[in-house]
Amino acid sequence: MIHQYKSNGYNIVLDVNSGMIHVVDDVVYDIIGLYENNSKEDIVTTILKKYSSTTEAEILEAIGEIEGLKNDGALFTEDIYENHAGDFKNRSTVVKALCLHIAHDCNFACKYCFAEEGEYKGDRSLMSYEVGKKALDFLIKSSGNRHNLEVDFFGGEPLMNFQVVKDLVKYGREQEQIHNKKFRFTLTTNGLLLNDDIIEFANKEMSNIVLSIDGRKEINDQMRPLSNKKGTGSYDYIVPKFVKVAESRNQTNYYVRGTFTHHNLDFSEDVLHLADLGFKQISVEPVVSLPEEEYSITEEDIPVICAEYDKLAKKMIERKKEGKDFNFFHFMIDLSGGPCVYKRMSGCGSGTEYLAVTPWGDLYPCHQFVGSTEYLLGNVDDGIVNSNVQEQFKCCNLYTKDKCKSCFAKFYCSGGCAANSYKFHGDINDTYDIGCELQRKRVECAIMIKAAQAEME
Amino acid sequence: MKHIKTLNTRNLKDTLKKGGCGECQTSCQSACKTSCTVGNQSCENNN
Repeated sequence: MIHQYKSNGYNIVLDVNSGMIHVVDDVVYDIIGLYENNSKEDIVTTILKKYSSTTEAEILEAIGEIEGLKNDGALFTEDIYENHAGDFKNRSTVVKALCLHIAHDCNFACKYCFAEEGEYKGDRSLMSYEVGKKALDFLIKSSGNRHNLEVDFFGGEPLMNFQVVKDLVKYGREQEQIHNKKFRFTLTTNGLLLNDDIIEFANKEMSNIVLSIDGRKEINDQMRPLSNKKGTGSYDYIVPKFVKVAESRNQTNYYVRGTFTHHNLDFSEDVLHLADLGFKQISVEPVVSLPEEEYSITEEDIPVICAEYDKLAKKMIERKKEGKDFNFFHFMIDLSGGPCVYKRMSGCGSGTEYLAVTPWGDLYPCHQFVGSTEYLLGNVDDGIVNSNVQEQFKCCNLYTKDKCKSCFAKFYCSGGCAANSYKFHGDINDTYDIGCELQRKRVECAIMIKAAQAEME
Repeated sequence: MKHIKTLNTRNLKDTLKKGGCGECQTSCQSACKTSCTVGNQSCENNN
């Protein structure tokens, strides 16, 4: 399976099943399009007609290069992985990551929040140390031979329950020694309660910190007001703190993370605004919400957003040339050291390797399923009790989703987000179609940036 | 090659042999929380 496209002056050919990427000249680009369904003679005739300056010898030379790559397993490769996907059903799973809902409460009132101001279809609640401790014990017990364990302090706003965060980190560090595990703690915060002590603690203990901000002041403040009666914008409160966090972490191991909506389809301006504030690790992502919300991304928005991604990709190349480069999370792609094909088939691990824990200790397949009681998996006392739900997630992979089979981006998104599929189709084995369109565009941009970088080297 | 430049890419087929150790980061723990971004994670297989 081949995907070929032109972007920013590059002719790019992705061999989907091997993941190999080739940047080719115009003649090869056209030959590859003809290669599978035409004889060599027909290809020569067609190309000679289109390119008057080329010769038969050159065309045959190009065909020779294509055949060489084919013989090396780097072009026109078959999908040999589907049989391995069947192994997933029989595999023994371990839990390696937890999203701890430290606080179902928030001091912001973001209009697009899937947690509904932190409450997740329930009451405001804070996780106790006892529940958190049981969650870490459950993780250690369920992690088998896995060494690296991940715990994200999430909410609502986790800094509204910061003492418990601190106590749980201390407990986790003690347990690391006993059980020969390594905890990677992370924190996702809106920033309002950040102070020097918390920043110092986070820099010592958190391997990553996600700082929520949408971009330009007017955009951020429209969607991310404080939860006070006036609905005050949050931008002026958080920006100085976020700058301090980023600098104190040497501009690594953090993200400023925003959401764009139907109201700011020119979101590249928000990304560049964050870059202009000095941030080097930036993630700005499309809102995922049902069509009835006025801020939702619509099908009509897709071409506008795709053009905006193109614009951003070109801008990032320009900035790199000027020595003012930054990372954009959705354009990051690890070609030489990325994940193995097993990971690419199995996806994010929600419901199996990755679980969310509510403040009162219930287990859900991920943070986005919290509050959807039909997906309640169990609790920190008894572990997984609803094995039917876990089985659904265990069996869910790239090859159980019909729409993914013919998609060129399948080994980059690994079948997409189960929660998004459920949100739009009531079924985890479907896909969120608008999200897929945008994902495909982002993969194209990410690869084009790699092509440009290779040229710069 | 004269007409084709291949980017430095790991062939997915080669990862069948030693893959699946599971030590890599869970994608939703990095930044996203609303999409699936497996492709930008790094392999952490030390064997």
